[in-house]
Amino acid sequence: MAPRAAIDPVLRAALLTVREVALRGSVASRFMPLSEERLLQSIVDATVRLFEAEAASIALLEGVPPRLEFRVAAGSKGAGAVGMSVAPTQGIAGYVFSTGESLALTDVAADPRFDRAAAERTGYVPRSIASMPLVNDDKTVGVLQVLDKRTTPSFTMRDLELLAVFAAQAAAAIAATRVQRELPTLLATSLRQLEPGMSNDRVRAIVVAATEGLDVDEGTPFWALVDQVSRLRDLGESELELVGGILEAVAAHRAHRKGARGR
Amino acid sequence: MTTTNELPAWSEPFDPAARDRLARLPALEMIDREWAWGGSTGAGVSVAIIDSGIEGGHPAVGGRLIESWLVDIQGGEPQVIADSEVDLFGHGTACAGIIVGMVPEVELVSFRVLGSNLKGKGAAFAAALRNAIHRPVQVANLSLSSKSETLFPVFHELADEAYFRSVVLVSAANNVSGASYPSLFSSVISVAAHPEPDPWRFYYNPEPPVEFGAWGVDVPVAWRGGGRSVATVNSFAAPHVTAVVALILSKHPGLTPFEVKAILAAVANNERRAL
Repeated sequence: MAPRAAIDPVLRAALLTVREVALRGSVASRFMPLSEERLLQSIVDATVRLFEAEAASIALLEGVPPRLEFRVAAGSKGAGAVGMSVAPTQGIAGYVFSTGESLALTDVAADPRFDRAAAERTGYVPRSIASMPLVNDDKTVGVLQVLDKRTTPSFTMRDLELLAVFAAQAAAAIAATRVQRELPTLLATSLRQLEPGMSNDRVRAIVVAATEGLDVDEGTPFWALVDQVSRLRDLGESELELVGGILEAVAAHRAHRKGARGR
Repeated sequence: MTTTNELPAWSEPFDPAARDRLARLPALEMIDREWAWGGSTGAGVSVAIIDSGIEGGHPAVGGRLIESWLVDIQGGEPQVIADSEVDLFGHGTACAGIIVGMVPEVELVSFRVLGSNLKGKGAAFAAALRNAIHRPVQVANLSLSSKSETLFPVFHELADEAYFRSVVLVSAANNVSGASYPSLFSSVISVAAHPEPDPWRFYYNPEPPVEFGAWGVDVPVAWRGGGRSVATVNSFAAPHVTAVVALILSKHPGLTPFEVKAILAAVANNERRAL
């Protein structure tokens, strides 16, 4: 794709490289969709099982104004939490999110201002909660919560340490999937690092030119082709040989037809 | 290097005529809890709680909250302004309740650095700590820590300033792995949780950075709205040590953070080796 006219010819080569990087990122993501939801779901599933808990859930900071939105949950009492959101400045999840420090509470309902209404909307009012921040670099992006271990009435320090391992995994998964979601931001940041004097308008123009048409959710023929090619990953050795043979034959046939017409 | 004014003044306290002033502590093996804080009520000692605010009217706080400050980020700069006695989370009130329960005549100064504004928490925390050191309070209880690289030198400088001004900083060890400050600075008393249900039981760990362990598992605490809860976290171990430090400083005003640490180590519940 040709860069836009507005772009300095000096940057043309750089832009093509950037577009190449963006394209590869998008193709990789289409080939192997790292569904954030699916990864996070597997983490809460494992958390519930390991702690023998009634529920586990992950809330991420989303939206304007930002709220902690419960994205995934697991456990017999967990389902009701998904889709709910709470203010990041209140309650147990809010404290953990704001401070980046974990916290385990028992007798949660004994707190008269415990958000019983919110808990009841989920269909479950817990007796105990362990809450752990999800931290990427310096930034807290959400919280991982576990409700009510079936085996003991409260959580131990060891539980918190163990939960921290799951939280680190969830934070890493979020970071990995956000690389794709935040591709334009990443590109803009790298451009600014390469050329600190570059104006915002110019950075924006280059990022738009580089990522235009790379939306992996789009149903264009290019992505349809990527999808078909990605299916090759599931084929065995002999099937791959067959596909290769057919492609060679098709190519030879086309070359032959072209040659025949040209004569 | 011949004139007297080029000589360092550092040697003055060690002059034979001046050395008597240095006799402050009994021999370490003679120090026990009775000497350290027997009869102390915490009178005359103010403790800063840098946290989520304190509910002044909570029964567990027992009317010991004398000042409440809010650190707000205004125009990018943290401002310390007068605050109402509120706690949006309950955490600061919980710390206050633990301390008042052990130190009935302590004076609490609350610095609320958590609340509606999610941005600049590290800077707000640093501003609160600076204000507490200069106020001055005798002890500051820190439940928070910062992982920010840019704030590392700021907290380092504040920890040193506190040390030289004899303000004892008691910090909860971070619950998760990874460096965070100021809990890992050498002059700070860093505290992790042990599970034995006794507010007066604490242990000394001779392997820094986390040098003390106090009760932090299933601790009954004050919580929001006059309520109560039961919590497990390092940040509720720290106030138990803060309380003991306040009692010691009430009975022995003017001790340095180094001396306080030595006393804590001397009277900790660790098994003792024979002399």
